[in-house]
Amino acid sequence: MIGGISYASLITQLFMGLQIGLVYVLLAIGLSLIFGLMTVVNFAHGSFFMFGAYMGLFMMGLTGNFWVSLVFVPLATGLLGLVVERFTVRPLYGRDLNDPLLLTFGLQFVMVESVRLIWGTTGFPFDTPSALTGPVNLGFALFPLYRIFVIVITALIIFLLWVFLEKTSLGLIIRGGTRDSLMVRVLGIDLSKVWFLVFGIGTGLAGIAGVLAAPMRGVHPDMGIDMLIQAFVVVVVGGMGSLKGAVIAGILIGVVVSFTTLFYPMMGEVVIFISMAVVLLIRPSGLFGEEGLLE
Amino acid sequence: MSFLSTRSYLGLILVIAVLPFILPYEAIATQILIFGLFAMGYNILLGYTGLLSFGHAAFFGLGTYGAGLSLVYLKVGLFTGLLIGVTAAVLGAMAVGFLCLKRKGIYFAMLTLAFGQLFYFLALVVFDNYTGGDNGLRGVPVPPISVGGLEFSIIKSPLSFYYFAFIFCALSILIMNRILHSPFGAVLQSIRENEKRSQSCGYNTNRVKWVAFLFSAFFSGLAGSLHAVYYQLAALNTLYWTNSGTAVMMTILGGMGTFIGPFVGAGVFLLIEDVISVYTVSWQLFVGAIFMLFVLFFPLGIWGTLQEKFRLWRLRG
Amino acid sequence: MEILKTESLVKNFGGLRAIDQVDFRLEEGQLHSIIGPNGAGKSTFFKLICGELHPDSGGIRFRGEDITALPQYAISHRGMSVAYQLTNIFPRLTTLENIRVAMQSRKTTYNFWSRKEALRDLREKSASILETVELGSKKDELACNLSHGEQRHLELGIALATEPALLLLDEPTAGMSPEDTERTIQLIRQIARGRTIILVEHKMKVVMKISDKITVLHYGAIIAEGKPEEIQANERVQEVYLKGR
Repeated sequence: MIGGISYASLITQLFMGLQIGLVYVLLAIGLSLIFGLMTVVNFAHGSFFMFGAYMGLFMMGLTGNFWVSLVFVPLATGLLGLVVERFTVRPLYGRDLNDPLLLTFGLQFVMVESVRLIWGTTGFPFDTPSALTGPVNLGFALFPLYRIFVIVITALIIFLLWVFLEKTSLGLIIRGGTRDSLMVRVLGIDLSKVWFLVFGIGTGLAGIAGVLAAPMRGVHPDMGIDMLIQAFVVVVVGGMGSLKGAVIAGILIGVVVSFTTLFYPMMGEVVIFISMAVVLLIRPSGLFGEEGLLE
Repeated sequence: MSFLSTRSYLGLILVIAVLPFILPYEAIATQILIFGLFAMGYNILLGYTGLLSFGHAAFFGLGTYGAGLSLVYLKVGLFTGLLIGVTAAVLGAMAVGFLCLKRKGIYFAMLTLAFGQLFYFLALVVFDNYTGGDNGLRGVPVPPISVGGLEFSIIKSPLSFYYFAFIFCALSILIMNRILHSPFGAVLQSIRENEKRSQSCGYNTNRVKWVAFLFSAFFSGLAGSLHAVYYQLAALNTLYWTNSGTAVMMTILGGMGTFIGPFVGAGVFLLIEDVISVYTVSWQLFVGAIFMLFVLFFPLGIWGTLQEKFRLWRLRG
Repeated sequence: MEILKTESLVKNFGGLRAIDQVDFRLEEGQLHSIIGPNGAGKSTFFKLICGELHPDSGGIRFRGEDITALPQYAISHRGMSVAYQLTNIFPRLTTLENIRVAMQSRKTTYNFWSRKEALRDLREKSASILETVELGSKKDELACNLSHGEQRHLELGIALATEPALLLLDEPTAGMSPEDTERTIQLIRQIARGRTIILVEHKMKVVMKISDKITVLHYGAIIAEGKPEEIQANERVQEVYLKGR
């Protein structure tokens, strides 16, 4: 026992942290890709997370099948992202760098209020799919099966993403564009198509994170904004433009939040901001970020 | 610069001097006064220094809670309460500014957002014994003030509070005008236009930005303090990020490239909210959409566009 | 009298050695040009001197003082000024204000109570610098509305505004027509009086015409130094430029 808490509880918290962290990672990767490549901070990223959760709810209502929802949601969310990019973000290309941030800020309001209009303000619970309910005996403790499922599937998504970015030529272009968009353009590649795609992928990731998170926290119009800030903190800590950084920082922060909630329940949120302040003071470019990458 | 644009601040003061009589009821006039001050203070950073902050609710809120807490628990006089509110905002800005200015651009913006939320959570959860948490701090007393031996209560009537706040607002406008047209104001604008060049000319731009941050927080905090006194409540939502967003939207709606634009934007924003709320509870949807339209098609804002049209008209005529 | 000196200056970018043990001396009052093929390290050297970049090792002394670790704004105050290759002006300020605000840095930063117009002598001196760079008639024009050539002159004006002892000019005639180039050369000759100048240029004719001394960089190292005639006759230099070795 440490400090009155059993080892079992500690390891359970670790797993919790891992699971929370991986959801952060999905959001952070999307945010980081969109920002790294397009220097657009998608303020509405959290709203896509929320939208994904609501889409999941909608699909569940329609089909009763969680697996169908899981496939449908990132597609629907990504599609919305593509529309948004094409008609509202792209016209801002070449203007002040702050403009897309401002635009997506307005978009955020529009999305949240639209959801409120259609589905009401109070939100809904989201039932864990029956196949995934119940605890699993991990030997030292019982752990919810659903959370293990989330761990497995987010790890899978991250792995697939890694394969895509590292091993395909399109992935290479995206990575190259993240580091030096001018060079990529000079090489004759039509960046606007790449941006289009990346925005869709990023928002799609946010959407699937939303539907995965839904059974654990319910579905609510305001679920997006806190996640946005936390995802951004992960990106700051991990280093802008670094996927490895997003993964490690996301898990790290998830674990830190998880343990803080165990020992000091009140301070869970606050600890996130403190970690960010610490990183800023010690290493402004983040754990794995590059110096001077848009400072 | 035309005569009109350099004297516009006088016109503004004249207008807000009679605002309660122009508008249907003075509650909205008071709101415009308070948020107009907030937006103008915010614009010191955005329009003049070129720094987009998404966390200014923190300074408004520090003003609100600083004034509220001191009036409730320390039972201070009214002016002292306001002073404490402003001081809290500036102290907060010293710390937040120092940390956030370690980064630039969009990074800076998101960092201010995160720190703004930190204050929100501190008030909601950590210090809720004092702040009242979700409910806010209720029953903020408004002690009477004594001027020249006479005592009177500024909340005797809605109009008396309005003119009390008006004095602070008008003074703030005059002071801000002075600051922004001073040599210091010139440095701010050089940073906005080209920070690297400003640095190579010999300005310690990081420190200058930090000082601008403090000035901006001062006026935002003053607005927040007045807010607490007016509503006799330190409301939690003054610290919530939507309040930061309000400052951003008002400023851009009105015109961040002008001196009085943000105040105009505050007026328009609040009037739109007032009108639309009659028909639907989703006024934020409309405001969000209008804001997006402005970002896409009217980046100069209402007053900025008007000024530009006027300037072109004079060139032709 | 020596005004600037670098000792074993080294700058690496990742695996690339951009500046390789450079020992550079600059005499006061001279117009000293730095030339070299693309990638030789000219602009890196430039940035190291004015403080925009810091060296990995080695030192820089300016007017007898060690400025190696100083930030750019502090070096500016010690009497150094830069006119950049990519026009680096204040776009939405007027031409006069561009110069005035640069000049103001010598007087005050934090004065927030006076009207800036009250600083009369700044306005007058700025106006005269505008005359020097032939932009007097455009003083109320927004800097972004000037032509390319005019903006290059404004760039020069901003650099002059801080009354530097050492002026660094990075390709001042870049992108200019032959007439504009000639005018700019005259201007540079004029402002060179009583000042020390480091010039980085690509146009050989310009360099040969106005330099007192020339340093040739190649792969971050000095391969030749001397008067224009000496450099022209130097075989190693010809090799490097013609055959790129």
